[in-house]
Amino acid sequence: MDNDNIDFKNLWKQQIVSKPNLEEFMVQLNKFKKAGLKTYWITNAVLALTSVFLVCIWVFYQPQFTSTKIGLVLTILTMVVYFVVFNRILKPSLYVGVAQSNQNYVQGLITIKKKQQFMQSTMLSLYFGFLTVGICLYMYEYTRFMSTVTAMVFYVLTIAWSALNWLYIRPKQMKKQQLIIDELITKSREISVDSVDDEME
Amino acid sequence: MDFEQLYELYWEKIFRLCMGFVNDYATAQDLAQETFIIVWEKQDTFRNEANIGTWIFRIASNNCLRQIEKQKRIIKTDLLPNLVEERSHSLEPQILFLYKCIADLSETDRIIISLELEDIKQAEIAKIVGLSEANVRVKIHRIKEKLTKKFKENGQR
Repeated sequence: MDNDNIDFKNLWKQQIVSKPNLEEFMVQLNKFKKAGLKTYWITNAVLALTSVFLVCIWVFYQPQFTSTKIGLVLTILTMVVYFVVFNRILKPSLYVGVAQSNQNYVQGLITIKKKQQFMQSTMLSLYFGFLTVGICLYMYEYTRFMSTVTAMVFYVLTIAWSALNWLYIRPKQMKKQQLIIDELITKSREISVDSVDDEME
Repeated sequence: MDFEQLYELYWEKIFRLCMGFVNDYATAQDLAQETFIIVWEKQDTFRNEANIGTWIFRIASNNCLRQIEKQKRIIKTDLLPNLVEERSHSLEPQILFLYKCIADLSETDRIIISLELEDIKQAEIAKIVGLSEANVRVKIHRIKEKLTKKFKENGQR
């Protein structure tokens, strides 16, 4: 063989490796676990506080119109569904199929990502749709006491916020997801094409 | 084999695999740590259906393959910049060149050659990557040829 003179294995193993001792590693491991827990608690605290805030509005301001109550319930429900779905279903597990062969793992990731993409686009559409309807219904009672111009300003601002989410944030999220899928598909194709090439020779 | 033994036995090998994949010391350190976090979390699911080494290398290589998907690393090693600097000065140019050449290969080829250089049997490499043994053999031959050519061109022999 042509490469007899170069001892790649010897060169390879001369790489300097700094191995953290096991105690240091355990510290990192615990930090990682705590960071995960922290995100989980913050997410849930935000959800709980927002819901409590909305319930307080109901209790202290005693809305008279049914539209206001429906708006409040719709807003709370939308947020609850959003957090539950994103936390429990959409949050990708770091470890799904990680001990399979590379080829199966990448294929599995593509399937998961495609499912997530579908769920995410449906969920995001529902989320923004219901949230906008909920807020508009909720505002109706209060804008009735405002002048037409002020009420219009409030509605225009709310709808503009919603449009920003719908036209900017939602497509951005979906594009990000699509890029990941495309890259994974390229990677998977690379493995298969390479192997077909080799088989043919 | 308990976790401590696995850690002692495999850390260096896994680090080199990650280093061959990314050719960046800090990223390789992060990837190696992540691999061992997964190994720690998953150790109860290992059922002896495969060689423990194959199992760990599969986790490590899949973690490397998933790298693009993760926008930010789950952990960051606080590696001082001068330590990295010092490290690369103390290494022979040939070693640096080898790792650079490997990192320039396709992702599958990077994994295959790294495992080959770690003395993993070709049958095991085939199981890790998910290709046939014959295929792996051909690939290793080609990659070595490619590396040799680059070394010659660069006057590294």
